[in-house]
Amino acid sequence: MSEQATPLLEAHNVTVRFGGLVAVDAVSANFVPGELVGIIGPNGAGKTTFFNAISGVLVPTSGRLVSNGRNLTGRGPHRFAAHGVARTFQTPRVFPDMTVTANIEFGLKFAGRRRRKYVFWGDELGVPWALRDAMSILQLIGLSAQANLPAAAITPSQQRLLEIGMALATRPKLLLLDEVAAGLTEAEIEEMARLIRRLRDELDLTVIWIEHAVTTLLRHVERVIVLHQGRKIADDTPRNVVRNPEVIEAYLGDEMAEPSTDDEEVAA
Amino acid sequence: MNSRQFLIRDLLVLLAFAGWCLALPFYASEFVVSMALTCLMYVALSSSWGLFCGSTRYLSLATSAFFGIGAYTSAILLGQFSWVETIAIGAGIAVLVAIVMGAAVLHLRGTYFAVLTFGMTELILHAVTYFEKTVTGTVGRVLTVVPERDTIYLTMLALALLAVATSIVVRRTRFGLALMGIGADEQRAQTLGVNTRLVKIAGFAITAAFAGAVGAAMAVRWTYIDPHTVFNPFIGFQTVLITLIGGVLTLWGPLLAAIIFSVLAESLRLQFPQIYLMSLGLLLILCVLYLPGGLASLRWATFKDWWNDSRAWARDIRSELSGEKEREKQRFKRREKESHFV
Repeated sequence: MSEQATPLLEAHNVTVRFGGLVAVDAVSANFVPGELVGIIGPNGAGKTTFFNAISGVLVPTSGRLVSNGRNLTGRGPHRFAAHGVARTFQTPRVFPDMTVTANIEFGLKFAGRRRRKYVFWGDELGVPWALRDAMSILQLIGLSAQANLPAAAITPSQQRLLEIGMALATRPKLLLLDEVAAGLTEAEIEEMARLIRRLRDELDLTVIWIEHAVTTLLRHVERVIVLHQGRKIADDTPRNVVRNPEVIEAYLGDEMAEPSTDDEEVAA
Repeated sequence: MNSRQFLIRDLLVLLAFAGWCLALPFYASEFVVSMALTCLMYVALSSSWGLFCGSTRYLSLATSAFFGIGAYTSAILLGQFSWVETIAIGAGIAVLVAIVMGAAVLHLRGTYFAVLTFGMTELILHAVTYFEKTVTGTVGRVLTVVPERDTIYLTMLALALLAVATSIVVRRTRFGLALMGIGADEQRAQTLGVNTRLVKIAGFAITAAFAGAVGAAMAVRWTYIDPHTVFNPFIGFQTVLITLIGGVLTLWGPLLAAIIFSVLAESLRLQFPQIYLMSLGLLLILCVLYLPGGLASLRWATFKDWWNDSRAWARDIRSELSGEKEREKQRFKRREKESHFV
């Protein structure tokens, strides 16, 4: 298989500048199919801005974005969505007046739409069984009981799940999760992490995950990119990243390095 | 009711409305027919306006620009082309202008968009006035080849029905869903795969097509047009008002409000012009304050809510006036003091 050779998404020297402030400074990264990558960094490190750039929400000041050999630099977010890049937002941005099911169906009807077996009916082609319709997606994220409620009426943590569901409804290849576990309890974060791993395994997704709960993140991802003041200072396995002196100095701090190594032992 | 039953209901109501309007010229007086014509004009304008501006929440004040473009097309071309062709060309030119205008300003939101569409209307108005003065050397134009009244009435009826039918269809398609998504959260809709730029321009163009066609049809009714009557910003404002009072998101709101408006307008304007404008303003204020969904969102439960609200309000006033509220406060204070000592 040449899967490892062709990255799903390549970012070449992506730079985003807001006036005089360089939010993202020449960050390059490749994401290959099936990876679960974490992005960490202190507040204001440019994590979300980098996400906005690689999901098309923001046009980078310079740099190139290539998906499956196709140049997507400067295209609208809907083009990224059509190429299988789906994202969630830091604060849930569901459609509050629509029901939970309708929120999921929105994605299915636009970026998630696929050719059917026959012209107007039959199964949609090339769609994972778990993403076949709104009900199955709701089952996957565990919101079946809330299917008919308006999205404004469900709890914030359920709205985070719905955000993921809406992203899944676009039948993505690459899922960008922006702090989906923010504000959750320790147990809920763990559950969310397990859900993300399950999605990755069952749907063959590539997942890029930004999170502040670094210990949980490091336990679950296979690769970590560390951003600091807009620059990429590390891109390695969690085991190596927590030992990286530059990362420790910039972000983790001396006391943070200890619990992370503990976690590694637990995981091992 | 499920969505299929809703569709059947809407189509039946539309059919009944069409039948009633068709029968009207046979028994009603000249005055009533002319009132119905204005009414149908506003049904077409506000239904098509609500179709785009209601769901996307883009407040466009450019209706009068498209209306005027249609009217001028009709004034210039009616000699050479047939009636239907003239209206189609009027709509077409309005669509072209809307595409250019939309590409220029549709990335702006809220007040900026409203103000810019208004500014563009003024720009077109003054450009046409200047052109007429310097090139053709006249102020207005007299339409000589005019179709008879029934033709105009039927055309306007067809346009109104088409506007409502388009609204029904758009609501049930992906296009309508995309418009809704843009209204709720444009960026989110984009990341879910909606080409928002294209959808917005298409929606704006549909609105413009109806306004242009209505303008082309209405121009012959007036027989004499000049830039200040057909590019009158009041046409745009009134469309917005009617749609807001009727309910921007509802299908039947604009139609309902357009009927109320034309009846109000025709019955009050001649005798008490100030009262007409005042009642417009009052109706708008009441709708915005107490009925944000518009007249078409009135339900039995709404009346019940109002009744309960006003009773609660009256109870409050009573307790205030009888001094009960003051005593309650005193009691509360005393209890707090006691609990401190304990």
